[in-house]
This record gives sequence, C-alpha cells and structure tokens, in this order.
Amino acid sequence: MSPAAVKVDRLEKTLGKNRVLRGISLEAGSGEIFGLLGPNGAGKTTTLRIICTLLAPDSGSVKVLGFDTRSAPEEVRRRVGVVTADIGVYPRLSARENIVYFAELSGVLDGELQRRVDTVLERLDMGSFANQRAESLSSGQKQKVAIARAIVHDPEVLMFDEPTSNLDVLASREIRNFMVESRGRGKCVIFSTHVLHDAERLCDRVTILHEGTVVATGPTAEVRGSHRDLEDAFLELVEKK
Amino acid sequence: MKTLAIVFRKEMREILRDRRTLIAIGLAALLTPTVLVIVSQVSTKTATQTYTIGYSGDIPTGLDILLAATALKLEPVSDPAAAAKQQVDIGVEFGAAQIDEWYDPTRQSAQIADTRLQTVLGQFNAAKAAASLRQKGIDPGLLNPIPVKQHPLSSPVKAAGNAFLSFFLPYILITMVLTGGLSAALDASAGERERKTLESLLLTPTPRSRILLGKILAVSVISLVSAIAAIGSMLLALSQLPLLGAHVSLSPLAAAVMVWLAILLAGCFSSLTLTLGTLAKNFRQGQAYSTPLYFITIFPASIILFIPDFNPNLAYYLIPILNAVLVLRDAIVRNSVAWPALTVTSASLITTGLICWFVALRLFTRETLLIRS
Repeated sequence: MSPAAVKVDRLEKTLGKNRVLRGISLEAGSGEIFGLLGPNGAGKTTTLRIICTLLAPDSGSVKVLGFDTRSAPEEVRRRVGVVTADIGVYPRLSARENIVYFAELSGVLDGELQRRVDTVLERLDMGSFANQRAESLSSGQKQKVAIARAIVHDPEVLMFDEPTSNLDVLASREIRNFMVESRGRGKCVIFSTHVLHDAERLCDRVTILHEGTVVATGPTAEVRGSHRDLEDAFLELVEKK
Repeated sequence: MKTLAIVFRKEMREILRDRRTLIAIGLAALLTPTVLVIVSQVSTKTATQTYTIGYSGDIPTGLDILLAATALKLEPVSDPAAAAKQQVDIGVEFGAAQIDEWYDPTRQSAQIADTRLQTVLGQFNAAKAAASLRQKGIDPGLLNPIPVKQHPLSSPVKAAGNAFLSFFLPYILITMVLTGGLSAALDASAGERERKTLESLLLTPTPRSRILLGKILAVSVISLVSAIAAIGSMLLALSQLPLLGAHVSLSPLAAAVMVWLAILLAGCFSSLTLTLGTLAKNFRQGQAYSTPLYFITIFPASIILFIPDFNPNLAYYLIPILNAVLVLRDAIVRNSVAWPALTVTSASLITTGLICWFVALRLFTRETLLIRS
C-alpha cells in the first residue's frame, strides 16, 4: 500500500444515545479503491462524515493527506470530494451552473474555472445536457452532476457513499467505471457500500464494520480467504461477533 | 468577500428563476394599488352617500331644507324606533319640546347619519337662538362670547392624507419586507435540506459564516425589491387617485427614512426567517414556523390605527418593528425626524439582526443540522 492518504485512528462517536463508532482505525492509500463495508447502521456513513469534517469525532483522530480534520478542516475539505446516494442538485440551475458554483466555492481560480468545468463535463460525457436545468434531468444525469461537483476541484481523496443505491444498471456501471478511472489517476477512492458483490469486484482493500467496530481489514482477497465470496466471509465474521 | 459574492449571485439567480417569489412580488405590486382604488371609492361613496331618516311628528320649519342639504333624506314612518332597526338609518320623532332619536351604534350608516343630524341640529338650534335674541334686541354675539379663529398649521386635507399614509405605509412596508423574502429565505435554508444539497454545500471549504451571509444578503435584496415594488405602485396610484379629497404624496424626508428602515428591517427579517428555515426539516415546516411572524409584525402596525396619538418615550424605540412603525409614522405625519429615536431604532434593529444572524450561524454549524436531515 502507498503511504496513507486517509488515516483514521481509534475513532469514537455517539449520536444522541446511539454509540455509532467504537474505536475504529483504518488507512486508505492513494491509487487504490478502499472498501468500507458493512450492513446498514454499521457506522460507514458516520465514518465518512467525520473524514470529510461534517461531523467531529468524540475521540480519536483523522488525518487527510497529513491535515487533521479538527485543526485544519478547510484544508481537508479542499482535498476531499464526496458523492452520496442523495443526488441533491439545485433544480433551477443548469448542470453547468451547479458545477461552476461548487468549483467557485471550492476555490478554483477564475482563470482555470471554465477549463476545469469543461474538462469535467467532457470526462463524464455531460455535454448533451450541460445547459439544461437540473430539474429536468434524469436520476443518472443528476448523479453525474453530483459527481462532477465533487471532483471539479480535482480532490486527491474521493469518497463514494452508497453511490449506486438509487441508480439503474447503466448509471451504476458508469459510476463503477469512474471509480476505476480515478484509481488510475492516482486518487485515493473510498467506496462505502453494503453491496459486497460490487466491493469484491472493485476494491483493492476493504474494512468491514459491524456495530461500530472493525471486524476485518486487509486486501480484498485476504479478507475473503477461503470463502466462496466476500459475502460469505462477511456473514461468518458477523455471526462470530 | 469573493465567496460572499459567489453565494449571493447563485442565490439571486435561483430566486429570480423561482415563480413563487416572482408571483409574490408581482401580486404585491398589483394588489396594493387595487386595494387603494377600492378604499378610495368606498371612502368617496361614504362621504357623498345620502342617508335616510325615518321620522314622525311635525318637522320644524327650515330644518328639512338643512337636512336635505346635508344629504339626509326624510321618510315618514309610523314607528321611528322600530324603523331605525333596519328600515332606515336613524329614526326621529319631532315633538313640541324635544326631538327623540333612535339609532343602532353597530351600524356604520347609523353612526354617520347621527353625526350629520347632530351637526345640522346644532346649527339649526344656534340659528333659532340667534333669531330669538335679535327679535328681543339682544346681540346674538352673546351666544358666542369668545369666538375661535382656527389657524391650521398644515392643510387639513393633506393632514388627513398623511394620517392615512402613516397607517398604511408602515403596515405595507413591514408586511412586504417580511413576506417578500420569506419564500426565498425558506428555500435557501429548509430548501437546501429538503433537496439534499446542504451536505454538499457544507463540504466546500468556504466558511459557513460567509455562506450564511451571502444568503442573508440575497434574501434582504428580494425583500427590499418586494417592498419597494408594493410601495412604489401604491404611491404611484396615490399620485393619480384622489384619496380623502386630495392627492397624497410622500415627502423626500419620509421617503429617505422609509428606505433606511426598509434596509434595516430586511436584514433583520432575512436573518430571522433563515434561522427559522434552518430549524425546519422542509419548506412546509419552515412555513409553519414562520406563521407566528405575521401576527408579531402586524401587531405594532395596528397600534398606530388604534392609538393614533401614541407618543412613547425613548425606551419604546428599543422594541424592534414597533420602533420602525413609530419612526416612519412621525416622519410622514410631522415631516421631521427625531434623531434620538431614529438612532435608538437603528441600533435596536441592527442588534436584533446580528443576534438572529448569530443564532442562524450557530444552527448552521451544529451537527444536528445534518443528523436531522
């Protein structure tokens, strides 16, 4: 594994009365797809939200490319792009305007703005609907807008939180291809999902969470071990717990 | 400043593409003069309308002429008391020694007819008394030992117009500043959460205080545009339409005070409605949270209607909204500005706006904002 782009150390978090994370640690490197796996409620989304500074940990620490999420949250946000299942876009803005807005807020310089936006539009094949208002776009097209706004500032760390859960087969495949492409560009891709089949196909390494703790971590093949697939391995790990 | 401008520009673009906001502004600009035309016509009709007196007995000589000249029509009835309930506006029985009058104070027509009758009877009695004194060789001036000569400091017609403006203008200003920006404020706060864009927005490195400030600025501008559209069309209508017998206009001083207060109120309301919107999970819940604001804001404007001569001490000018109403009323009616009152009012509204902004910012940076969504 390359040096850790994201380093999570003994993370704990309680939301309301629910102890969501109970001291989890993990590391994800540049140029790899790192799978954060587990059933619903395992703590995947909370972990991602802490990594991208939306939530603060109760204890433990998170470093993104050397920047601590507590002491340098804005530096972390500059280096992170997040795509979630909630493909919320501004409906009265066009796809391009949505992307430009996030590029500007992410600090993309004026001289570079249009080139960066055009590059992203081309990369995600959005030219045909770039100037259409977002309210008239399909789910797949909106998801592309959501990805475009997350990557327009060219972040070194990309996080995907159940990105395909609301999408059809074709749109899901495009997302998967995009993750693979991003890995090829040397990005650190963190892929959170409960669809273990997807994870097995894409991830170089995985961490499996269950009830806020890490139950397994390592290269995907190693975690699968002698089981038929990752799902069987996961079920056995969870049952043991 | 740059990120502030980015958020402001985006919010304005969204607002201007939102039919709800545009319709609200357009309706305000159209409805205000329409309401005024109706008010004008009703007031003109009320002033010139003939009212009916149902009477029995013998009418004193000459009184019928005076009553007819005051647009009071006489109609003989057998029972004036019964007729006054519905058939006529007031009932009168002319006796030899006194006049009995019946009227229903709950009917506006009865009140107006009564006022006119009292005026006519006062003049008639005075004329009769003067004639009697003259017959006896006594100077009728005895009845009026100290004559009063009135010197109004301004045109009574203009004063009536100003009194009208002093009620309606603060009312419209406050209502429009609040309602004009409400939809935009809820859309920029609860709407972000409802359409699930909030998380992406908070993920940008832009400080949340600037995001919030950009939103407040955009909502304030729309509130101001809305208020100016409504008041501008109202003043335009007033300049073309005689109201209470005169063309009513706003003095430059009152206009300047109004614009300054509108800016302060817009900042205040924008922060407040964005705070309420941030508390709400969705647009509809935001509307429910904002409903009490209508009552809170309309109440101070109503004080001017019910207590027109309310002259409070300086402490009252600390109360937000009421202070704006009072300052604007004084500027319209007296065409002058009490600087201490305006200073206290400005400080009060700026402080209120800052408190609301601070609360909104606290809410905007709380984890529960995301967890609840």
